[in-house]
Amino acid sequence: MSEESLKDFVYDDVVIGEALGSYSYVLTEEMLDTFRKAVEDPEARFPTLGVKHDATAFAMVYDDKVGTVNAGNEVEFFNPPIPGKKIIVTGRIQDKYTKRDNPYIVIEATAEDEDGRLIEKLRTYQIKKPEVLGKKWQK
Amino acid sequence: MAEIKIDDVLPSVTKTITQEKIELFEDCGILDRQNIHNNPEIARERLKFDHPIASGRMSVTYAAEIIRKYVGEDAFYHSGTVNLKYLKPLIQGDTVSVSGSVVSTEQIDAGLLVTINIQCENQNGEKTAIGQGSAVVK
Repeated sequence: MSEESLKDFVYDDVVIGEALGSYSYVLTEEMLDTFRKAVEDPEARFPTLGVKHDATAFAMVYDDKVGTVNAGNEVEFFNPPIPGKKIIVTGRIQDKYTKRDNPYIVIEATAEDEDGRLIEKLRTYQIKKPEVLGKKWQK
Repeated sequence: MAEIKIDDVLPSVTKTITQEKIELFEDCGILDRQNIHNNPEIARERLKFDHPIASGRMSVTYAAEIIRKYVGEDAFYHSGTVNLKYLKPLIQGDTVSVSGSVVSTEQIDAGLLVTINIQCENQNGEKTAIGQGSAVVK
C-alpha cells in the first residue's frame, strides 16, 4: 500500500472491531535465521513475532504521526509456521479505552498459512501518548 | 518429562541486549520501517530516550523460550500462550534474566493446563516485564 492511500490516525475516530485489512507474505528461511540470531535461540520457531503481524496490519492502514509505545502483548501459539509457506494475516482493532487519562488501543492479528493451519493470534496494547511512558520509564 | 507441580521453578535464560540484536529483530518485519527500535532520532523525539529501545516482543520470545524448554516443544508449539506487561524498556548494554514458576495446574479435556508466572529483570534487579504464560501438557 502506498503512503498516499494511508489514513491519518485520529484516536477519536477509531472504532472497536474496525478491520485493519489483511495481507500475506511468504515466510523465508532467511527470516527464521535472522529471528533466531536476534533472540539467540537456535530452536525458536515463531519468527512471526518479529514480523509483528498486528502492528504491520495497522501500519498498512494508518499513518500514525503521534507514534506509539507498547504497554503489553498477548500471544497464543497454535502451530509453528513452515518456511516457504505463505502466511495470511487478518488484523483488527480489538479494543480502545482510556486509563489514567491516557488513550490506549488494542490491535489484534490472526495468522494462518496457505493450507489453513492456524499459526498465531497476537494482541498488542498500545498507548497512543508515547511520551507518557517515556517519562515514566526514565524514573 | 518429570511431573509438573505448583511452585516448580523453570530454568531461566539470560540475554545480553545489543543494538545489533534489536535491529536484527526489526529486520524480520516485512515493512521497511523506521521506529523507536532502530532509529535513535525517533526514540529521542517520541520517548526522550538517548537510545532506541528493544521491542517488547523480544521479551515475549524469551518468555516463550523458557516455557517451551519446560513443557516441551509439542505442548508449547500447539497450545502455548505468553502475556506480558512491560514495565521498563531494554536498551543496548542491558542484560535481562527471564524466569518463571508454576502458579497453577488444572486437568482439562486436552491435558494438564499449566500456568506460569513470568518475570523479566534487568542487571540492576529492576523488573522490565511481568506476566503469565501457559500450555497444555498431554
